[in-house]
Amino acid sequence: MRRISAYYISALILLITGSVMTEAQTQTPDTVVIPLKIRAGVEVTGPIIYLTDKNNLNTEGFISADLNERIGLFLGAGYSDYKYSQYNYDYNSKGFFLKAGVDFNFLKPEKAMGKYWAGVGLRYGLSSFTSEIPSLKYENYWVSITTSVAPSTYLSHYLEASPGFKAEIFRNFSMGWSVNIRKLLYSGTGSKDARPIYFPGYGSGEGSMSFGISYFLVWNIPFKKILVEVKKEEPVETEETETQ
Amino acid sequence: MRSLRSNCLVAVVIAAILQGTSCTPQSCLEETIAEIKVPLYLSSTKIIQAPDSLTLYGINSGSGKIHNKATGVTKVLLPLDPSAETCGFVIRINGTTDTLLIWYDSFTHLISKECGYTFYHTIDSLIYTKNIIDTIKIKNRSVTTINEENFRILY
Repeated sequence: MRRISAYYISALILLITGSVMTEAQTQTPDTVVIPLKIRAGVEVTGPIIYLTDKNNLNTEGFISADLNERIGLFLGAGYSDYKYSQYNYDYNSKGFFLKAGVDFNFLKPEKAMGKYWAGVGLRYGLSSFTSEIPSLKYENYWVSITTSVAPSTYLSHYLEASPGFKAEIFRNFSMGWSVNIRKLLYSGTGSKDARPIYFPGYGSGEGSMSFGISYFLVWNIPFKKILVEVKKEEPVETEETETQ
Repeated sequence: MRSLRSNCLVAVVIAAILQGTSCTPQSCLEETIAEIKVPLYLSSTKIIQAPDSLTLYGINSGSGKIHNKATGVTKVLLPLDPSAETCGFVIRINGTTDTLLIWYDSFTHLISKECGYTFYHTIDSLIYTKNIIDTIKIKNRSVTTINEENFRILY
């Protein structure tokens, strides 16, 4: 269902913003002025989901700074409080996560104009959290017991690739989404038996990959303008043939 | 531009609703109890063969018999108590009784998010009487929900 929603949103935003961008591309100058920006953003789906599901709180924010018209540094952080109950157990996981990496804008400068970003973010993530099983019911031939597993602290590492899109919809205010593909490097347990079900910042602990989607509201602070040369596409030469 | 703003807001709200409603729990379809898997071999032929009669129960267990004069049983499953470090079983094969005592460690194991946690065990040691049992071979000390042979009884 999450993937379907991602496709819907991706298609919708690309269609809408695509038409806006093409209006600004009727003429291509030799150089363009690109404002480099510091961005501060918050992820919005986590708090919205929390309004309907009090068992799952995920808050996340980030700051990023453009190094040039294509590359920006990214630093993100968040807090997660995850609760899950099934027929025979309750589970809690809560803690903080940090992400650091680089954002690459694949749009040409004359198309991006400092307002649009379509690219990929590559990040290293660190998740520090406690995981506990407050209640675990177990029944077999010998016993019918209810026990618990005390909180344990974990430090896990993961990599994240986040292709996505952002568009400035008001002056210095952007919205955008990213699809998040994560690879768990180290669960922090050293054992598969006591593996946590949920890692803050990473997601579901089942499998070594996790997927998600994020929607961001971003405040942009321009701090410098740079002049970027526009690479013009050379016209394709066609051979003229004379006919007599 | 106005339509862009409103559409983006609608998109975010729709996506949030979809995300929120997509997290419904699924049912558990996996084995959740780890038991010692013990196929029964006839020592003279070294092939699996069901005894004519098999009775099996735990010592000091209030749950009754696991098997009671059962026929056609080629593999027995020995459950372990995760709150104890040892379990004893009485096994009666073709009217002759033997006793098994097993020492082990228990630890929690995550099966899956749907199935939750269970207890796995590591066999430490085993002693048994030899009235009808010829030998019990320990093939795999890890007692899990996976269908792997742990002990092999030759009678």
